[in-house]
Amino acid sequence: MTSLKDAKFEETFKEPQYPWRKRNPATTFTNSIIVILPVTIFALGFFLTEIPGALLFILVFIPVQIVVAIFATIWGISRKQVGDAILSVLSLVAFSFVIALMGSVLFSVFSRGLPAISISFLSQNNTYISPTTELGYGGVGHALIGTLMVVMIGMIISVPLGIASAIYITDMKGRLAGFVRFMVQAMSGVPSIVAGLFILAAFILTDISGFSAFTGGLAYSILMLPTVARTSEEVLKLVPKDLRDAAIALGSSRARVIMKIVLPTARTGILTAVILGVARVIGETAPLLLTTSNTNGTNLNPFVDAVATIPVYIFQFLGSGYPTAINRSWGAAFVLLSTVAILFAIARIVERSTKKG
Amino acid sequence: MDKTGEVLDEESSKHLIDRPEPRYFGREKSRTRSDKAFSGTVVVAALSSLFVLVAILIYLATSSWPVLRKEGFSFITGSTWIGGLDDPTQQVFQIWPMLYGSFLNALLAIIFAVPVSVLLAIFIVFIAPKSIARGLTITVDVLAAIPSGIIGIWGFLVFTPVAEGWARLIHKYLGFVPIFENNQDQFTRSPFITAWVLGIMIVPIITVVAREVLAQTPQDLLDAARGLGGSLWGTVRMVALPHARGGIVGGVMLGLGRALGETVAIYFVLNLIFERVNYYRILDPEGGSVASMIIAKFGDATPDEIQALLGAGLVLFLLTLIVNLIANWIVARSSRERMA
Repeated sequence: MTSLKDAKFEETFKEPQYPWRKRNPATTFTNSIIVILPVTIFALGFFLTEIPGALLFILVFIPVQIVVAIFATIWGISRKQVGDAILSVLSLVAFSFVIALMGSVLFSVFSRGLPAISISFLSQNNTYISPTTELGYGGVGHALIGTLMVVMIGMIISVPLGIASAIYITDMKGRLAGFVRFMVQAMSGVPSIVAGLFILAAFILTDISGFSAFTGGLAYSILMLPTVARTSEEVLKLVPKDLRDAAIALGSSRARVIMKIVLPTARTGILTAVILGVARVIGETAPLLLTTSNTNGTNLNPFVDAVATIPVYIFQFLGSGYPTAINRSWGAAFVLLSTVAILFAIARIVERSTKKG
Repeated sequence: MDKTGEVLDEESSKHLIDRPEPRYFGREKSRTRSDKAFSGTVVVAALSSLFVLVAILIYLATSSWPVLRKEGFSFITGSTWIGGLDDPTQQVFQIWPMLYGSFLNALLAIIFAVPVSVLLAIFIVFIAPKSIARGLTITVDVLAAIPSGIIGIWGFLVFTPVAEGWARLIHKYLGFVPIFENNQDQFTRSPFITAWVLGIMIVPIITVVAREVLAQTPQDLLDAARGLGGSLWGTVRMVALPHARGGIVGGVMLGLGRALGETVAIYFVLNLIFERVNYYRILDPEGGSVASMIIAKFGDATPDEIQALLGAGLVLFLLTLIVNLIANWIVARSSRERMA
């Protein structure tokens, strides 16, 4: 009952109301002119002259669009709204610009990466493969296994620490809560290459360990921890206080309240936090170049010897410069991007199912 | 009626049921032993970020100390890099061209990214219909999640040829301006292209922050602007932007931190020149980046050279730490001001 009332209240009073959103039919005609005229001029220029499209877009389409919008506004609405017209056009340009860039990135990875994908590309490793070997032989199998190992090790280290930081900030509200949050924020700014250098200096140069999946996982955990901690903090804040109070009143120990009540209640949110942490690091190349090195064979031992990973695989073949090698890079980029997309899709589904429940 | 009733109710109830916050982990004696162990573990784990930051500082500083001591302050102000020699006394490690290059790239990237992100944020919050705004928010999140390696391969193979054309045009028509000079007839691998690639990476970061602070513009202020007959542009300029200024500046600083630390993408799209500083000719195929230098030099580095690279990493770490702390401070301060 209350929730319904709240929702109604929200809808009536909290919803931001922007007056300029209101449209009346008289302006529809003006709007259509604003849209159609510049597009027509651009299309004429594009098909009838030899000027390159991008240049035409920047030097012809945008100015014409702005001028038309200004005149249409003065004629159709009011002189005062000219600023609105310019702002709308410019922000639409920014919008289409970002969409175009993102479309270009996704389209190139999709169109150039997909042809390289096959069962053998996903399962075989890179032994006996040179940069000029045909695409039918060899693949990213060893790198997939390597990435999986490195990410798992990163998770095993960073997830408990991240959740503990979040518990400390939200549930224990210790004296250092503000300080811990500050440190987590400071840590989120550590460049990935610095994380790699640190592990290199602390473990590899001191001969504690060689290049291995383990050292790579350590570097990843430094980058994952802030994401996991910040997201879990947001999630733990949403656990109702009454639940905690009730458990305390029933005589549970404080540790039990957190382990049996708070964390289970927030479990889907924490899963989201973990997934976001993984998505944050899975494409990082720089720390792995310094900590896992690279190899052509499959290495299943996470503690001994170099392993290959997808980002380093992309780096390796992109650097060699041969066309087939570059196709391999695109294929691996496609695998990487699909993995990130799948992770995000899972996070979104989990989030949605939590909201429903 | 309903509204006032609701608000009154809320406030009065808050006053009436103003109970003390239960202290789950208070310092009272009734704590059990398992509680103590548990809270001890959590505290230690929560301080891990502090340990890591301090450890990074200590390890990078101590392991690069021989080089830093030998070079002194000229490590960051000099422009010579002679490594890989048998005689260690002949080696010189100085990173000024890379350090300056990092700043130049980041500055250019911000000049490009700030207008785009702020306009995009204004579009999402104030102009776009709800459905498009929601879609765009997700799109920006997706853009932020694209791994930098993929932006790197795209920037190298897809974007560079396009941007090379733009650079040629700019040089042809604006070549008399000193910053657009280019005497080498090569327009790829320049700071100009690097800045675009970096800009594409930081646009989502700035947009996310700008969108959040713009969306928090109080409805009262927007209503007041409407009551005075304000247009969209007037409202954005006089109400929303001043209100969101601190948050947007903080977001820009976060983007700056990211741009300074970016490694692999820059490695592919920029020609690193270690011994000469390209101060302003942004279309020339010469530039620098501390982070990319570490990758470029690491492969065949001698032990001394690795020490120097660790020193470069230390400089980068301190720089990004300062930028990030300032950014977080600005964001926190402006959000406190908004609350007040």
